[in-house]
Amino acid sequence: MIKIVGLRKKFGHHEVLKDIDLEVKPSEVLVVVGPSGSGKSTLLRCINGLEHATEGQIFIEGTDITDSKVDINQIRQKVGMVFQSFNLFPHLTALRNITLAPIKVKKMDPDEASEKALKLLEKVGLKDKANAYPAHLSGGQQQRVAIARALAMDPDVMLFDEVTSALDPELVKEVLDTMKDLAREGMTMIVVTHEMGFAKEVGDRLIFMDDGEIVEEGLPETVFTRPKHPRTKEFFSKILSHI
Amino acid sequence: MPYLLKGLLMTIRLALVSEACILAFGLIVALLRISRIRIFRAAAAVYIDVIRGMPLILQIVIIYFGLGHLGIGLSKFAAGVLALTICYAAYEAEIFRAGILSIHKGQMEAARSLGMGYFKAMRYIILPQAIRRVIPPLSNEFIALLKDTSLVSVIALSEVFQRGRELMGTKANVTPLVGVAICYLIVTIPLMRLVQRTEKWLSRGD
Ligand SMILES: Nc1ncnc2c1ncn2[C@@H]1O[C@H](COP(=O)(O)OP(=O)(O)OP(=O)(O)O)[C@@H](O)[C@H]1O
Ligand SMILES: [Mg+2]
Repeated sequence: MIKIVGLRKKFGHHEVLKDIDLEVKPSEVLVVVGPSGSGKSTLLRCINGLEHATEGQIFIEGTDITDSKVDINQIRQKVGMVFQSFNLFPHLTALRNITLAPIKVKKMDPDEASEKALKLLEKVGLKDKANAYPAHLSGGQQQRVAIARALAMDPDVMLFDEVTSALDPELVKEVLDTMKDLAREGMTMIVVTHEMGFAKEVGDRLIFMDDGEIVEEGLPETVFTRPKHPRTKEFFSKILSHI
Repeated sequence: MPYLLKGLLMTIRLALVSEACILAFGLIVALLRISRIRIFRAAAAVYIDVIRGMPLILQIVIIYFGLGHLGIGLSKFAAGVLALTICYAAYEAEIFRAGILSIHKGQMEAARSLGMGYFKAMRYIILPQAIRRVIPPLSNEFIALLKDTSLVSVIALSEVFQRGRELMGTKANVTPLVGVAICYLIVTIPLMRLVQRTEKWLSRGD
């Protein structure tokens, strides 16, 4: 589904991703953890072309998106992304947030798009908020609309970048539950998160990143309880002591 | 007085036609100014600097007489519209640009990650938000434009100020200028109130 070979990313002289190799299989839920600045967001942003790889290849269903001849807009329709800061369109209602891209990009019939959007809103538990503007929704509700918005393009893989870290603790669960449902339905997901409960419950595999490298990978449970690498040990001992 | 009122109509027509051109051209210049293509950015920057560095009255004269010398005879009205457009678009381009840049970059990224191209994202996501923010400064520019149409009198376009000066010559007193002042004020004062109201109305949502 996704195959990354020798990916490097530099900002000026600063190398943020150092020779990343990674493969994600269909329906797999890959959890990415690591300290701040380790390159987790940059990795996700490379996968949907928001950042250009300095070196290496990223294959999405066989297409190398680092090839300049590839139509990145086509690829992005297959790769849904949800951001830490929601990034809903504030001038559009929840429903219009969801239908805009299907109508304008996929040329979907507006009625069909609305119908589909309502189903998605129902799925994320927000059917009654279809006509609300983002400013009138709580953070958790906004994030669920953002998930529905990404799903409306029928992506084959979803990228989640710390989607619960901007939320008040009591709103985290509703968003994680939505993501769990998705995982259960077989969505391929790459999830950057520090929610260890979520990682253990739905993660098929976990990678630990530090300083632009994948330091350790394995089953979430195993990496949590028996980390091998000293940097992984140090990281988990720090965050576990916080919980 | 009807003589002056006709002049006022000309002033308003000149301002409205120019404003339409200014908005369209100013937006294009703003988009070039933030384009990823370096020559576009540079060209827009030079244009903005050169135009803002010169008095409007000079630009009007250059366009009317200069183009006339080159054999491109424009009517006084067309020359006025062209000069006002070229001048004001430089200022309004900067307002548009600031408005566009004030929209959080996450908006563009969210739009792009849904598969929208740059122009679709601009059109459906960035510009609708940016335009709301620039309505107040653009309205103030329009009021300034309305007053600056008086400068087109240097090429003897028969707008309200020009007519006032003619009347002053024939009547040999300054009362026509009082009439001219009233003409401007009956338009500008309601406009200023309207701008204040819109500003309040727009800031409600934030
Ligand atoms: N556009 C950019 N220009 C320059 N440097 C950048 C840019 N984006 C990210 N960086 C740098 O790249 C490094 C990795 O950033 P990234 O956002 O990928 O980390 P992260 O693992 O997601 O961290 P966090 O947990 O804080 O979100 C950081 O040192 C950051 O300063
Ligand atoms: Mg990050």
